[in-house]
Amino acid sequence: MTINSANINNLVHALEERAKELNCLYTIEDAINNPEFTYDKVFSTVVNAIPKGWQFTDITSAVIVAGTVRFTSGNFCESKYFMKSEIIIDEVVKGYVQVFYSKETPQFDEGPFLKEERKLLDTIADRLSLYIHHEESKRILNNLQKIKDNSRTGTKENWRIIIEMLFRTDPVLYKTILRKLLYHLCWNDIKEAIDFLSSSSIEMIASGDETPFDENKPLKRKLVNNDEYESTILHLTEKHLKDEEVIEKIQKWITDDKISSLVKAVENNNTSLPAISEILRKHYKIAIEKHEVSTSIDKGLRVSLLRRFFTEQTEYITLAKEYVDLDDFYNLIDKIIFSPTSHGKLGGKSAGLFLASNIIKKFTQDNELLGNIKIPKTWYIPSDGIIQFLQYNNLEEVIEQKYKDIEEIRREYPHIIQIFKNSLFPPEMIQGLSVALDDFGDKPLIVRSSSLLEDQVGAAFSGKYKSLFLANKGNKKERMSALMDVIAEVYASTFSPDPIEYRAERGLLDFHEEMGIMIQEVVGKQVGDYYFPAFAGVAFSNNEFRWSPRIKREDGLLRLVPGLGTRAVDRLSDDYPTLIAPGQPNLRVNVTLDEMIKYSPMKIDVINLKNNDFQSKTVKELLDEIGDSYPKINNIISVIKNNLLVSPIGFGLDDSNSDVVVTFDGLIKNTKFIKQVDLILNILQEKTKAPVDLEFASDGNDFYLLQCRPQSRTRETAPDSIPRDIPPDKILFTAKKHISNGKVPEISHIVYVDPEKYNEIGNRNDLLAIGRAVGRLNKILPKRQFILMGPGRWGSRGDIKLGVNVTYSDINNTSMLIEIARKKGNYIPDLSFGTHFFQDLVEASIRYLPLYPDDAGIIFNELFLKRSKNIFPDLVPEFSHLKDVISVIDVPETKDGMILRVLINADLEESVAIFSSPVKSGSKENISSDVSEWKPSDQWKWRHKMAEQIASQVNPNLYGIRGIYIFGSTKNATAGPASDIDLLIHIDNYSDRLEELKIWLDGWSKCLSEINYIRTGYKTNGLLDVHFVTDLDIENKTSWAVKINAVTDAAKPLLMNLQS
Amino acid sequence: MADKNFNAFQMAQTQFDKVAEILTLDEPTRQLLREPLREYHFSIPVKMDDGTTKVFKGFRVQHNDAFGPCKGGIRFHPQETVDTVRALAMWMTWKCAVVGIPLGGGKGGVICDPHNLSMREQEQICRGWVRQLAKDVGPLNDVPAPDVMTSSQHMLWMLDEFETIKGSKYPGFITGKPIGLGGSLGRTEATGYGVIFTVREALKMLGIRPEDTTASIQGFGNVAQYALQLYSMLGGKVVCVSCWDQKDQKAYSFKKTSGITFEELTGITDRFGGIDQKKAIELGYEILDADAWIEQDVDILIPAAMENQVREDNIVKVGKKVKIIAEGANGPTTPEADKIIEEKGIFLIPDFLANAGGVTCSYFEQVQSNMNYFWEKDEVLGKLDYIMTSAFNAVSDLSKKKNLYMRDAAYVISISRVAQACKDRGWS
Repeated sequence: MTINSANINNLVHALEERAKELNCLYTIEDAINNPEFTYDKVFSTVVNAIPKGWQFTDITSAVIVAGTVRFTSGNFCESKYFMKSEIIIDEVVKGYVQVFYSKETPQFDEGPFLKEERKLLDTIADRLSLYIHHEESKRILNNLQKIKDNSRTGTKENWRIIIEMLFRTDPVLYKTILRKLLYHLCWNDIKEAIDFLSSSSIEMIASGDETPFDENKPLKRKLVNNDEYESTILHLTEKHLKDEEVIEKIQKWITDDKISSLVKAVENNNTSLPAISEILRKHYKIAIEKHEVSTSIDKGLRVSLLRRFFTEQTEYITLAKEYVDLDDFYNLIDKIIFSPTSHGKLGGKSAGLFLASNIIKKFTQDNELLGNIKIPKTWYIPSDGIIQFLQYNNLEEVIEQKYKDIEEIRREYPHIIQIFKNSLFPPEMIQGLSVALDDFGDKPLIVRSSSLLEDQVGAAFSGKYKSLFLANKGNKKERMSALMDVIAEVYASTFSPDPIEYRAERGLLDFHEEMGIMIQEVVGKQVGDYYFPAFAGVAFSNNEFRWSPRIKREDGLLRLVPGLGTRAVDRLSDDYPTLIAPGQPNLRVNVTLDEMIKYSPMKIDVINLKNNDFQSKTVKELLDEIGDSYPKINNIISVIKNNLLVSPIGFGLDDSNSDVVVTFDGLIKNTKFIKQVDLILNILQEKTKAPVDLEFASDGNDFYLLQCRPQSRTRETAPDSIPRDIPPDKILFTAKKHISNGKVPEISHIVYVDPEKYNEIGNRNDLLAIGRAVGRLNKILPKRQFILMGPGRWGSRGDIKLGVNVTYSDINNTSMLIEIARKKGNYIPDLSFGTHFFQDLVEASIRYLPLYPDDAGIIFNELFLKRSKNIFPDLVPEFSHLKDVISVIDVPETKDGMILRVLINADLEESVAIFSSPVKSGSKENISSDVSEWKPSDQWKWRHKMAEQIASQVNPNLYGIRGIYIFGSTKNATAGPASDIDLLIHIDNYSDRLEELKIWLDGWSKCLSEINYIRTGYKTNGLLDVHFVTDLDIENKTSWAVKINAVTDAAKPLLMNLQS
Repeated sequence: MADKNFNAFQMAQTQFDKVAEILTLDEPTRQLLREPLREYHFSIPVKMDDGTTKVFKGFRVQHNDAFGPCKGGIRFHPQETVDTVRALAMWMTWKCAVVGIPLGGGKGGVICDPHNLSMREQEQICRGWVRQLAKDVGPLNDVPAPDVMTSSQHMLWMLDEFETIKGSKYPGFITGKPIGLGGSLGRTEATGYGVIFTVREALKMLGIRPEDTTASIQGFGNVAQYALQLYSMLGGKVVCVSCWDQKDQKAYSFKKTSGITFEELTGITDRFGGIDQKKAIELGYEILDADAWIEQDVDILIPAAMENQVREDNIVKVGKKVKIIAEGANGPTTPEADKIIEEKGIFLIPDFLANAGGVTCSYFEQVQSNMNYFWEKDEVLGKLDYIMTSAFNAVSDLSKKKNLYMRDAAYVISISRVAQACKDRGWS
């Protein structure tokens, strides 16, 4: 009891002391910043404020000595109990602050004083140094100004007075100015000055030998002493320069000199970010606001600041230095949460946004369309924050995590999250976060990672690290702890298996990964219990998914969703964002009512403020709850009325039973939004000299830019390099029209529907059968390793002569859909551009390519397609009567192990399909040429091993097993983390015993699934996909039985233990 | 070589020739009916959004108007051919005749791809189409309707242009208009209900009480849903419905032996007829393979999804009990399967009879628009019942009398009706 209360008393006392110290500091700051206070008033206020900050206020007194002046507190009394801190300006001691206790007190940290009091005193002394320095500078500048004014009225030789003043106050600066005067004289072509410069030197350079024109030796110089040097310059100045000119120059040089300390500090990599910020704050007041800095220094400073705060990348700096000014940094530093020794950077995401917002700012004045473009309030934690976090908690060994086995990493990752969440943040960070939270209020927040690796060209880290939403509700303590929790989780994601694996594959593992953090206000409005933007999305300068030949690549692409933008950023499997080409907003992907409904966004992501939760709801559910209080709902939705989609007029949703579809018709037709996006994309593309990729959101009124990066960073849409001089026999086709960038994996099979033969089919049922045969091939051929080539319009429904009648499910495993437009008489038929299932193709990243074989200069190797061995009848015997129309070519079989590679470069408007050797997975080249999809490395190996195990352990005689085969991705060595293991078991007949076997296999399946989860993080419901076939099946080639002894991609028999 | 090509119009002509043979029609009548009466080919210049001008090709084919004004849709299709339009116009003639409504057959179109056109450009095409044809179409000549890639919006633009040219209101110029702007009530139910009216008559003919029957339906779009509703109202029990699952990209059959009700199933269905699997299981449905609907031991099968669903490979799985197949969709049965159905002695209600409820309701819309007086829904559906019942009876009587397969009987009856009308008018 007593111990407890004593503890509490101690605690309360300690807290009281901290409060006193703070009060003392505040008083001092107030005095210093009060423009009405005179120099003396400031000092007397400060000296009297000091005792109140000390533990034993009553017996405390203070004295400040600055240069020749001395100030004492009211009750001043010197004694032997004192502490002292010096006032240092430009490394010279200019005075001190001293605090006395008038009588003896108990002993604490530093004699009678607390360690906190030491810190406080040092802070006060520092602050006073700055103040004095600032005041002195001001005085000099003011004097100069006065003299300058006088000089206009004709007073001569004023500059002499300044020089003398400098000589007395700042000898170093005095020398600098003299040197600059000499250079200035030389610039002005004063011959005497030039001679003097080239022939003289002050004592420093030793005399060498006598050959003056030897390039490798220093010139011989005449030695002059200091006095002579100075007087010569002053003499020449007087002789050749006007008083007014000299004063102006000197004033400028003095300012430059002040700034140069900033430049030096920034350029010195040892200066910490907080130190840079402090210097920036200091000098901003003196000079920057007066815009008296010379352009070269100003530019140099901007470059250095960009380098220190953002990136070393010269491309970025070259661009950014044109658009950012010191004001922007001045505003930025107030929003950075530093630790005192931070040397980190803010990371790629922050850098992109900083640049983009500053570019747009430059154009805002000239263009009213840009008027309401904003950046959400953002705070930053530099990249080394994570290191300090680790050090503070003694967690450094986690950094070595990345060198462990991926399995181990995956197993340990949940613990890391827990450990991180239970770790403490360094006090400076807590303080910073607390200030940030006060600034944000209780607006929901998103904590985004801003990785340094995002700067590495070619490595698209988007989505690899976490971005987490935070409802930010409750009292300050709750909000604070929630915020720290989330930051800890984002930090932990650096050590999550996926990014580590991704980095390992790209040789980036040794790159020291530090991660910056952006804490951003979530754009939106609160409606009921929910918080969300009216709409959000992503925009691309280059449209790589064009649904009409009228849409040009530079018309751009918008993916728009209601609510939070998460649904627009990711490819969706169960929903569709609205697609718009901002350059051609009237050409829509979907034109019939059915299409418009089917491909409209059905779901919306929101923050649930009540549960502090991020939620996906259906739009209907949300509207049922909140009705037309959805912000600007008339811009978002249309209502189906009598089979017509109409934009609501007036009050919006008049009836809760309305059948509502998200169309954004109102937004497109009645607002400037599309024009705005188009303009922003154009400006950013033009100014950053590269197509860009933006994330944005709107609360209904304003447009907020959330992210901006070069579009080429998204690997998926980076153009391939197209080799020249490819031998013609290596080319399958070339294309030069309507090319969209995109990666196509290595192709092992070609499905070719011969346009001529298709056209000759006289029977509607045969035409329909072609579609069904393609659907069948789609199920059998290795996923994403085959391309479909066919006449005209894939997916044609009514008039199926125009193209093969397929639905999306008949083609959803292809990697590329190719439409061939052969000339008919004198016209070339229109192609569909995949419109029948366009948005499905987009979400699945299936690429589309139109071919015009009859155009000039186009190669189309029809002979290869027609003459190569056609394995179609063997693959799908039930359709063998169509073998003249459909060919399936096994490329490696036909071309000695080569595969087909489709290279696309939309920048050149060119595509070419070439036969080449496959690239072994894991090798170097793979990194530069691999596909958008996550490329498996050795997932198949252990799967294969397990399959062999299963085969060897089963008792074939007991179950009447003739053979066990493996096929699909495991056999083909293409298995990804989510792939299953396809087994084919050849049995005598279906017997009851088989049930036992199935149960046994099911056990295996579940265990393997667990192993796979540990290795890859993919959860599956069983990993084995077992198919039983009998002799009869094999004879009839029904279903999976075709895989046994198949002509292509045949199932591979596994060794069984026949002895058992 | 060229005649080997699949050509819709040649196919329609071949079909006609076959029936003409059965009817032993005289040569002039054959010549008259093998070709359209009139065709219009014209150009529609359109100012595009980018300021350029593009010229689109438009068509209207009026195949036969012996029974009354031509009726048929307008298609916007990028590779429209006049032969396709001719074939479709001919089919419209037969379709109107089989239900005995006083309309002829027509079809039209424009070669264009709406995917490449803005709404404003599409409006200009619609108005241009009407400007070219205003003197040759109209409530008393030829009544267009929506079709491939055209909607009620296009119809309203066309109507507006027509009325502007004529200087008066002619709501009967076009059908497919929204309710409140000249559309008819009951349009949503018409096709599905029409299917069941014919099923009811077929049961009556076979001497079976609807309440003693069960049915299985393929598809769960508009037609299937209202077929389910009316059939249940008649006392029948639907035990299986198959539908497309957008997410899995495949179809499933939903089975409930105790019977499926319209309210229950539509309650867990999205607007595309996709059924929520999880909720279905909670409600006691079994989820089976796509083809399971056809294997059910029921009395009636109603393929109401899309074409080519009843094929050689799955028709053999049809349960022994099945007595009636009613084709709610267009062309759900392949010719091979057709033969097997005929052999098995299953009673087939062919598509252009079973799903003629749609065109009949368009006719009602036209009638109501012409008199500018609109009926209650019950009145529309009552009149629909009457027309569908008479049409069914005529076809089934003929089928019995002449021992014809129902599909052939339907063709025979419609072609003979049109031929007779032509003769009566003195055309041949």
